[in-house]
Amino acid sequence: MSKILLPFITYIAFVAESTVMQVLAPEHYGWDFLMIPHFAMVLIILMSCYLKPSYGIVYGMIFGLLADLIYTDLIGVYMFSTALVAYFIAVLSRYLFSNFFVTILLSILGVAGLEFLVYGLNSLTGIADVRMADFFYDRLLPTLILNAVFTIIVFYPFAKLLRKIEG
Amino acid sequence: MPQFFSNKRLIILLASIIVLVAMIGFSMKDRKELSWPEQFLKDTVGVSQSLFYKPANSIAGFFENLSEMKNMYSENKKLKSKLDEYAELSVSVQDLKEKNRSLKGQLEKEADLSEYQVKEATVIGRSPDRWNKFIFVNQGYKDGVKTDMAVVSPQGFIGKVTRVAAFHSTVQLISDNDQNNQISAIVEGNKRIFGTIEGYDSKKQSLLFKEIPVNATIKKGQKVISSGLGEAFPRGLLIGTVADVKADQSGQTKTAYVKPAADLFNLSRVTILERTMQQMDENEFKAREEG
Repeated sequence: MSKILLPFITYIAFVAESTVMQVLAPEHYGWDFLMIPHFAMVLIILMSCYLKPSYGIVYGMIFGLLADLIYTDLIGVYMFSTALVAYFIAVLSRYLFSNFFVTILLSILGVAGLEFLVYGLNSLTGIADVRMADFFYDRLLPTLILNAVFTIIVFYPFAKLLRKIEG
Repeated sequence: MPQFFSNKRLIILLASIIVLVAMIGFSMKDRKELSWPEQFLKDTVGVSQSLFYKPANSIAGFFENLSEMKNMYSENKKLKSKLDEYAELSVSVQDLKEKNRSLKGQLEKEADLSEYQVKEATVIGRSPDRWNKFIFVNQGYKDGVKTDMAVVSPQGFIGKVTRVAAFHSTVQLISDNDQNNQISAIVEGNKRIFGTIEGYDSKKQSLLFKEIPVNATIKKGQKVISSGLGEAFPRGLLIGTVADVKADQSGQTKTAYVKPAADLFNLSRVTILERTMQQMDENEFKAREEG
């Protein structure tokens, strides 16, 4: 039962990025910073921390590819970045204690890694033409705050589910 | 220091970088149609998006309505005074329409670049990363939507259809920075100025209207409309107003900053336009424009 629940929950988080979070986006209130939801990535990072590394990489590839096909124009950018971040988090978490604060820290690190990878790849193809300082203050910091809050909210129920799957 | 990669994994990483470059190269080609697995995915995600977006939007709309209610009284007063002007205006519009029709009849010309058919669509989502500025709507090729159709909101032009699945499609907003995202436009005035809208300045929140000749006189507050040349857009859709003009580095051309007429963030219902007249010879058009 919990094995079916895992892809389902990740899919809901993925769809919520483009729908619910867009209704609540800061642009609606005239603020000029960006808060990018990476909810599916956060869940994949939690999977990498608590399950076998293959879980994070496979989920990262599937949901990265889905994001590429639906949300963007270039295929491969999110697929590569999400899987790579999932792998790094899986390796890192082997060397660290898995408690609440370490996991939050790893999640922030992972989302920052994803943002930097996507920014770099999109700069290569000319889609992103923002200066580093603007990227950092207007986009990266608010994004990290939003996703850290999301991690704190989902941490306990999701970690419980993951422990059940691990058996 | 943890060891991240054994030799075998390093090879896998290098291979996947090569695959990544190949995939980006493949998808950077100007593809007109989606393959069927992409269409299937798009429709599946589209269904779940509309499940989420509609309730979220209506709840947000409810709170917006509450805050709007405060200014209702003063707004009502203003609108009542405008109503008299409206009656006058509608009479003169009717008159002009009648005149236009009779003149067209004399020219024996049926279709026009500015005529179109409309399709209503509801927005079901938006691309979450702001590098790509796409919105998703609930109309697909089963409803007659094709790529490159113009999309407008009640305030003005917002973008064009780029990807079409059976029941859902993707709209690329004019603010998207993709290099293929160009729209030929005209500055309204005594003498018309042709140019292209390409790119977006996110700091100034305005579109870049490029390739204006240096000697062209262009002022703040002038309206920019679609020209109907080159694309499948109807002519005369309001894009925005000129906010600022700057000379280019080369000194040959000028760039104008155009404030979009439509609010590109608050979109809930949009209209997809299909131009009635399919093609028009550009030379013929320019000749008539100057003559």
